[in-house]
Amino acid sequence: MAEMTDRVSVDLTNCDREPIHIPGQIQPHGVLLVLHAPDLNIIQVSNNTQELMGRPPEALLGTPLSDLLNEPQTQQIQQCLTEDFESVNPLNLSIACPDRAIEFDGIVHRWDGVVMLELEPRANSGSPNFFDFYYQVKEPITRIQKAPTLLDLCQVVVKEIRRITGFERVMVYQFDTEGAGTVIAEDTDQETPYLGLRYPPSDIPKQARQLYTLNWLRLIPDAYYQPVALIPDYNPLTDRPLDLSLAVLRSVSPLHLEYLHNMGVTASMSVSLMQDQKLWGLIACHHSSPKYMPYHIRTVCEFIGQVMSAELANKESSEDGEYKRQLKSLQTQVVETLSQSNYFLDGVEQLNTQLLHLVNATGAVVCSGDRRVYVGDTPTEAEIDILLDWIKSRLDQSIFETRSLPKQYPAAESFKAIASGVLALEISRIHHNYILWFRPEVLQTVNWGGNPNKPVEVLDDGGLRMSPRKSFQLWRETVQGCALPWKPCELEAVVELRSLIVGIVLRQAEDLAAMNYELKRSNEELDSFAYIASHDLKEPLRGIHNYANFLMEDYAETLTTDGVSKLETLVRLTQRMENLINSLLHFSRLGRTELMCQSVNLDQLVQQVIATLTMARPHIEVEFRIPRPLPNIGCDRAQTNELFANLISNAIKYNDKPEKWVEIGFLTREGTEHPTFYIRDNGIGIPQEHQQKIFQIFRRLHGRDEFGGGTGAGLTIVRKVVERHGGRIWIESILTQGTTFYFTLAAEAVI
Amino acid sequence: MTSNLAVSNRRMPPLLVVEDSNEDFEALQRLLARLPLTIPIQRCINGDQALACLYRTGAYEDHQLPRPGLIMLDLNLPGTDGREVLRRIKQEKMLKEIPIVIFTTSSNPQDIEDCYQYGVNSYIIKPINFAQLKRDVQVIVDYWFVVTTLPSDLED
Repeated sequence: MAEMTDRVSVDLTNCDREPIHIPGQIQPHGVLLVLHAPDLNIIQVSNNTQELMGRPPEALLGTPLSDLLNEPQTQQIQQCLTEDFESVNPLNLSIACPDRAIEFDGIVHRWDGVVMLELEPRANSGSPNFFDFYYQVKEPITRIQKAPTLLDLCQVVVKEIRRITGFERVMVYQFDTEGAGTVIAEDTDQETPYLGLRYPPSDIPKQARQLYTLNWLRLIPDAYYQPVALIPDYNPLTDRPLDLSLAVLRSVSPLHLEYLHNMGVTASMSVSLMQDQKLWGLIACHHSSPKYMPYHIRTVCEFIGQVMSAELANKESSEDGEYKRQLKSLQTQVVETLSQSNYFLDGVEQLNTQLLHLVNATGAVVCSGDRRVYVGDTPTEAEIDILLDWIKSRLDQSIFETRSLPKQYPAAESFKAIASGVLALEISRIHHNYILWFRPEVLQTVNWGGNPNKPVEVLDDGGLRMSPRKSFQLWRETVQGCALPWKPCELEAVVELRSLIVGIVLRQAEDLAAMNYELKRSNEELDSFAYIASHDLKEPLRGIHNYANFLMEDYAETLTTDGVSKLETLVRLTQRMENLINSLLHFSRLGRTELMCQSVNLDQLVQQVIATLTMARPHIEVEFRIPRPLPNIGCDRAQTNELFANLISNAIKYNDKPEKWVEIGFLTREGTEHPTFYIRDNGIGIPQEHQQKIFQIFRRLHGRDEFGGGTGAGLTIVRKVVERHGGRIWIESILTQGTTFYFTLAAEAVI
Repeated sequence: MTSNLAVSNRRMPPLLVVEDSNEDFEALQRLLARLPLTIPIQRCINGDQALACLYRTGAYEDHQLPRPGLIMLDLNLPGTDGREVLRRIKQEKMLKEIPIVIFTTSSNPQDIEDCYQYGVNSYIIKPINFAQLKRDVQVIVDYWFVVTTLPSDLED
């Protein structure tokens, strides 16, 4: 393991940090002149001016450019100082040297505070005209545009570039999301094909990639060249090494040269392929002997690269055309189903396998709050909970995707067979709405162009140095813990789906809020209805009662005993009805009065309740058990008093044992600060099938006069008190053995 | 006994009953009639009528009725209800000395609280129990017409 770590650090030191943009040297096939703007005096030159233009560098330094170039050429450069150099490049320059005039291709650009002029001697006289260029590009462009698929396009390009340049091998590399490159097209006359080989991301370090995006073309005519130094060493204006990022002649990293040597390549040229401002790939050209490409050929290649780059998006978007249409129609169905259901998860349950088809997954989990819906093959609930937490911090624009979960999340090793690939979508953080899709592990054989793990050399001083790999022999690796990658069109479909679902979820939340409001209002109306109705019922009831009494008083003599007894029954019934109305009134008032929450000493409260109850029933012997003093809690004193009074009096009433007891206590549970209270008795118990009914108003389980009677509103009032405090109440009961009522008086925290 | 007799010979100020229920009024009348005191009873069936009666306006303009010695007032009345009648009487300098007993079905704590805030003299919930009703009526009359001494101007 320690060795591994070292290797990583060497990798970083040697490659990713090498300052390849300021090598302080150039390749020898041209001359670099560094000019001070705006007077265009030469302030730095490459140390090969003598060889290429017959003038020693010292003679050039400090002189104006106009000494070298004629007036129109100098003016041309001068004019574009404030404008675009692209419009003048390449400059067709003729420089008067001591013995003759030499033709150069000049490329001028501005960077790092100076103007750089690169001059490459033109091999044959006479510059190619526009029509030469046109004929060279016309055919390749037509073929590029006609290519039906991306691979055909690449194949056309490698053929055309090889035809134009004459390189021994021309390839198209495509980079994947991890930065590894794969040869997807090749045209060569060499024996060993490189087609299908894969190169690790470290073969092209990060800063090299950056330069590839700045400079679309890179030429190394001879990998065995002697670099040419700049005179003076540093940019005299900044006193730092000159930034050669945009310089065509920039000297190559020794590591890269070694890499080329190992590969048997002497000349190389690469053209960047860009898509969405990102490096998509490269057209790479190799030659086993030195090979120089004149500027106009390079321009043709660069132009082809640009046209190909533009075509990439077209070709990629037309790939999977049928699949995309299917996704689109599936997406429509999904949205339709979801929007027709009242709750997001209900809709998801109906979707079932459609949810999988949407991104070609084999498993999916939809999370909404604490609820989960599982479709297909998924990890277990516990595994998903932890995974989801891990993913939440890694979401990028509500999306997380990987094809190799175990690499980033080692816990996934145990379920990689079903979930090596994960695509997660956050729909709402507030409502905890997430969709996770899974793809199984697919064992893949990757053909590497040599062992991708770079060898480490131990240096004489004991230090470590990573050398570029030496072998480019086919090296096969079986890749584990990887699923098929999520396609861009699948990700797009999911992103689009998200915005549609968000709309649906929002609407459903609004509907729910409106329903809640309605419900609250109708509840209030019902409360007020019950109050008024029961109130108004009392008046006729009183009339019936009084008139029955009038009858008995006024006509007692004329009535038979039977008649009097019937009137007595009438009076008794009015009294029972009054009791019911009073209970109803009381119950409805309970919902209408404000809760007056304060800190209440429940221990005292219960003692008082017991005292009152035993006073009312002095003949009943009950043992009250209170295992530990009840706590102080915040609640409405009067209502809580009633709650305990009702439950304790029930516990006393519904008991036929010779030795009755009632236990009043509380439990504290982990994760919640609110105690759960209980009132337990050894009474008659409640049959399982009736346990849900006991809380319904006026719902009685026993005869009217059994167990001391009652209106049947007590437990309804109890539940109302509990619910008004935000708590809940439930029971456990065994018939003939006893009942325990549990309740809380505060909302439990949502976990 | 003697005092009772003495009282019975006295001319009693009338009792004003504000009650919309005929049945309740009949019960009340029946029980009052059995009492040894002879008390003139004036009935109004709603709040507006009660106020007209007290202010001697409208139909009561020409009535020469003495001012009532007690008002038994129901709360839930059609039109101007008992709460408003109570409030108006207790705000009126000439009337607020007349004792008012609320005699109502409402056991709402809010009603009870409000009535005492307005200055009611007593609040009694109508019972549904004939014996209790009998007892309540007797106590009310005894208390307000026998036990209590009212300002003299009420009795003239």
